[in-house]
Amino acid sequence: MEDGTRKSGDLWSGVALAALGGYIIIQARQWEYLGPEGPGAGFFPLWYGVAILGLSALLIVSNLRRRAARGNPIDWIRLGRALSTWFALAVSVALFKPLGFVISFALLTYFIVAVMYRRPLATAALVAVASAAAFYLVFDRALGVPLPVGILGF
Amino acid sequence: MEILAGLLNGFAVALEPANLFWCFVGVLLGTVVGILPGLGPPATIAMLLPLTFSMNPAGAIIMLAGIYYGAKYGGSTTSILMNVPGESASVVTCLDGYQMARKGRAGPALGIAAIASFVAGTVGVLGLMLVAPPIAKFALSFSSPEYFALMSLGLALVVLLAGRSIVKALLAALAGLWIASVGTDLFSGTSRFTFGQMELLSGIDFVVVAIGVFALAEVLVNMEAREETQLLPVPKGLKNLLPTMQDLKDCRFAFVNGSVIGFLVGALPGGGSTIASFLSYGLEKAVSPRREQFGTGVIEGVAAPEGANNSETGGALVPLLTLGIPGSGTTAILLAALVLWGFKPGPLFIPEHPALFWGLVASMYIGNVMLLILNLPLVPLFAQVLRMPVYVLYPLILGVSMVGVYSVSGSLFDLLLLMAFGLLGYLMRKLDYPSAPLILGLALGAGMERALRQSLMMSEGKLSILVSRPISAVMLSLAVLVLLIPMFGKLNAWRLRALEQG
Amino acid sequence: MKSPSSLIALFAVLCAPLSFAEGFKPARTVDLVVHTGPGGGSDVLARAIAIMVEKEKLLPVRLQVINKPGGNGAVAAAHLAEKRGDPNTLGLFTGVWLQTPLVSAEAKVTLRDLTPVARLVLEPAVIAVKADAPYKTLAEFIEAAKKNPGQLKQSGGSNTSRDNVVRQLLQKSTGARWAFISFPGGGERIAALLGGHVDIMVIEPEEAGEHIRAGNMRVLAQVSEKRLAKFPEVPTLKEAGFDVPVVPQVRGVVAPPGIPKENVEFWQDFFRRLTRTPSWQKYIADNQFEDGYQSAAELEKFYDEFTDRMREILKDAGVKTVR
Repeated sequence: MEDGTRKSGDLWSGVALAALGGYIIIQARQWEYLGPEGPGAGFFPLWYGVAILGLSALLIVSNLRRRAARGNPIDWIRLGRALSTWFALAVSVALFKPLGFVISFALLTYFIVAVMYRRPLATAALVAVASAAAFYLVFDRALGVPLPVGILGF
Repeated sequence: MEILAGLLNGFAVALEPANLFWCFVGVLLGTVVGILPGLGPPATIAMLLPLTFSMNPAGAIIMLAGIYYGAKYGGSTTSILMNVPGESASVVTCLDGYQMARKGRAGPALGIAAIASFVAGTVGVLGLMLVAPPIAKFALSFSSPEYFALMSLGLALVVLLAGRSIVKALLAALAGLWIASVGTDLFSGTSRFTFGQMELLSGIDFVVVAIGVFALAEVLVNMEAREETQLLPVPKGLKNLLPTMQDLKDCRFAFVNGSVIGFLVGALPGGGSTIASFLSYGLEKAVSPRREQFGTGVIEGVAAPEGANNSETGGALVPLLTLGIPGSGTTAILLAALVLWGFKPGPLFIPEHPALFWGLVASMYIGNVMLLILNLPLVPLFAQVLRMPVYVLYPLILGVSMVGVYSVSGSLFDLLLLMAFGLLGYLMRKLDYPSAPLILGLALGAGMERALRQSLMMSEGKLSILVSRPISAVMLSLAVLVLLIPMFGKLNAWRLRALEQG
Repeated sequence: MKSPSSLIALFAVLCAPLSFAEGFKPARTVDLVVHTGPGGGSDVLARAIAIMVEKEKLLPVRLQVINKPGGNGAVAAAHLAEKRGDPNTLGLFTGVWLQTPLVSAEAKVTLRDLTPVARLVLEPAVIAVKADAPYKTLAEFIEAAKKNPGQLKQSGGSNTSRDNVVRQLLQKSTGARWAFISFPGGGERIAALLGGHVDIMVIEPEEAGEHIRAGNMRVLAQVSEKRLAKFPEVPTLKEAGFDVPVVPQVRGVVAPPGIPKENVEFWQDFFRRLTRTPSWQKYIADNQFEDGYQSAAELEKFYDEFTDRMREILKDAGVKTVR
C-alpha cells in the first residue's frame, strides 16, 4: 500500500465514516433513548454513533496534520481489474432469476478465465462448463442443496 | 464410581455394531456438511429426522450427535484453504489458517485443526461426563450482567486484533456493532436501519457478512494482479503435509486453552461457538511469546479456536441433557428430536435414561477418534486443491461462497448482501482497515446490547449491577485491563524516550 | 326396475361429492412453507404433518417443508403472495404472521392478502415460578407485585409475543405492575427463571413438564379455556379469578391468493380429515395442544377479531402499530 494512497484513503474513509456516524445519531434520536422499562432502541446506537463520529474525526484530523509528500497515485489498473470482477459477479447474481445458477456461473467463470486471465477462449469455455457442471452435480444432485433456479428450470 | 459404571455400560451400548455404524455415518456426514459453507448441522439433522423413526433411539441420537460435532471438524477446511468460513464458528480459523496456507503450510494448518479438534472434543466429552451437573448449576448463575461482561471482554480483544492502527480497528468493530443492530429490536419492536426492506427485519446473517468480507474480498484483491503466480505454494513431501513436533510443542497451551474455554462458554445457554473461538484466540494471542505474529500465520492461532469450537459441543450438551435447555440452533433441534422420540431432556433425563446418556457419551469418544482417523489422511488430499490453477480456483471460491450463502436461507436478497459486503471487504483491505474487528463486533454486538438492556431492566436502571455481582465485576475488570494493554506499550515507549532525552 | 340410465344416474349422484373433491388434486409435491429455519416451532409441526401424511396416505403426492426464514415471518408471507394461483403451495402460519404486519411497516403482506384455509391448533401456556418462590397462587404474585410496583420481573420473548400480551392483560385488569425482560431463546428464558434472575414466566406446558417433574418449577395458573389433561389441579386464569381474555397462540394453514374455490375446499377438507386421524390426535395430546380446528370462513372471522384485539393490547402497552 503506497503511503500517499493510504493518506488520501484515510481522509475519504474518515469522511465517509463520519457521515455514517452522523446518520446513525440522527436515526437513533428518532427512537426512544430511555424508557420506563429500561434503555430503548435508541440507546446503544446513539453511543456507538457518537463513537464512530469521534473516531473518524480523529482520523481526519490526524490525516490532515500528517499531509506531507503526496506519494504515488492510486493504481487505477489494479483497482479496475478488481472492480470489473466485482461487476461481473453482480451481473451474474442478477442473472440468477432469469437464467439460474448453473448458466450464470458458467458465464461468470468464462469471463474470469477469458477476460481477467487472458487464457484461450477454448480453455475458458472448458473450465466454465466443467465447473458449472461440477456444481450442479455435487450440490443439486448429490447433496440436494438448492441452487437458484431460472426460468429454464435449473 | 457410578461414573465408571455408567461409562462402561455406555461403551457396551456404543460398541454394538449397529450403533458403531450409525456413529460412523453421523461423523462422516457431519464432516461433509461442515466442509460445505452455509449448509449446517441444523438443516441436515432436520432433514434426517424422519429417517430416524425407524431406528432405535440410541443409534439415532448417536448419529445426529455425530453430525453435530463432526461438522466442527470439517468447518476448518474451507476456512484454511479458501478463506471461506465453513460456518460461523470457523471464522476465527480463517485469520491465521488462511495465512498459513498462503505460506505453503496448508497441510500443518489442516492437521493441527484436526488434532486440536480431537483433543478439545475429547476434553469436552470428559467434561460432560464428569462435571455436567455442577457446571450446569454454575451456568444458571450466569445471567445478563455476566453475559455483558463476557461480551465486553470479547470485544476488548479487538485491541489485540488491531494491527497498525487502533483507531481503524475500533472503527471497524463499531461498524460491526452497527450491522448487528440492523433489524427488529427485540424489546420494543422498533425496526432499526432496515431501509424499508422486509428481509432486513430479522437482521443480517453473520455468515453472509463473514463470507463476503473474507472470501469475496480476498478473491477481488487477488484479481488485481494478472501475473500467473501459483496461488498458494503446495507443500511437497509428507513431512510438510502434517504438523511437525515443533508445531505440536508450540500448541501446548492452545490445546488447553481451546478445550477449557470452549467447554465453559458452550455450557452457558447464551454462549456459542463463535464467542468461544474468539475468546480462545484472544487469550492465546495475549499469552503467546510471538503475539505480534498472530494474523500472519501462526499455528497456535489455528489450534486454539478450532479446539474451542469442538469442546463447545460437549459444553452445549451440558444444559441440554441436564436441564433440558437448548443453548444454540443445533441443540434446539436435538431437543426436538429427543422429544419426538419420546424422551424429555431435563433434570431427570440422566437418572431415568442412563443407557441413552452414557451410550451417547461413549459414542462421542469413539466418534472423535473416528474423526481424527478420517480427517488426518484427508489433509494431503485437501492440500492438493491448491494445485489448481488460479483461474479455476477463484471462480470455484466465488461459486462456493454463493452457494453457501444461498443455502442458508434460499434468498436472493442474501446474495445481494454478499455482493455488498464483498465490496466493503475489498475497500477495507485497500484502505488498511482490519476485517477481523468488524466480524468480532458483528458477532458480539447484538448479544452485548441485549445483555446490557436486560441487566438494566433487572436492576431497575442501576448500572451498579454490573459490578456488584462478583463474576461480572471480575470479567469487566479484565476487559478494562485488556483495553489498557496497548497503553502500557505506548507509555513504556514514551518513558524510554524521555529517559533517553533527559 | 333399474334401467342402465337410472343406474348411471344413481352412480353419478353417489359419486358427486367425491368428484367434487376430486375436481382438484395436487399434481406435484406440495410445498408447505414455514417461516422458521429447521428445528423451529413451525418447522417441527410441518415435518410432523408431512410424516402423518405419508403414514396415513392422505395425499397421492408427497408433502415437503420449505423453510423461508427471515423478516419475522414477512419473507414467508411474501413468498406465498408471490405464488399467486399456485395450487400446490401452502403456508403454515402462526401468530407472528398476524402480528408482524401490525408493528412493522416493512412487512407488507397480511393474512388478508392470502387465502385462509384452516386453523389447526391453539397452544395454551402455563404461568410458572421457581419452586422455592413464596407464591403459591397467581393472586399471591399479583399482591406482591402491587406492593412492589416494577420490582418483580418476568422473562419472555419479544414485546409483541404472547408472554407480554398475557402480562399486559393481567396488569390492566389488576392494576399491578411488573417488569418484562425479553430473551431471544426459550432456553435463556428458562435459565433466567431457574437461576433466580427473574420471578415468573409464561411457558409452554410441554417445556415446563420436565422441570415441574424434577421439582424445580411450580405452575400457578393456566392460560387456556379449559384445564389441560396433564395439569388437572392448576386453575385457569378465569378460575383463578382473573377475568382476562385468553389470547391463544395459533397455528393454521393459508394458501396463496388467487386460488379457485374448489382448491380451497379441497385443502380445507384435507386438513379437516387430517385433524381426525389418530396420529394427529396423538400428536396434539402428546404436545398438549388444543384442537382449534376452524374452517376457512371461521378463520377469516378469527383473524379480524385477533388483529383488532392485538391492536388494542399493543396500544395499551405503548407499542406503535402501523396498520
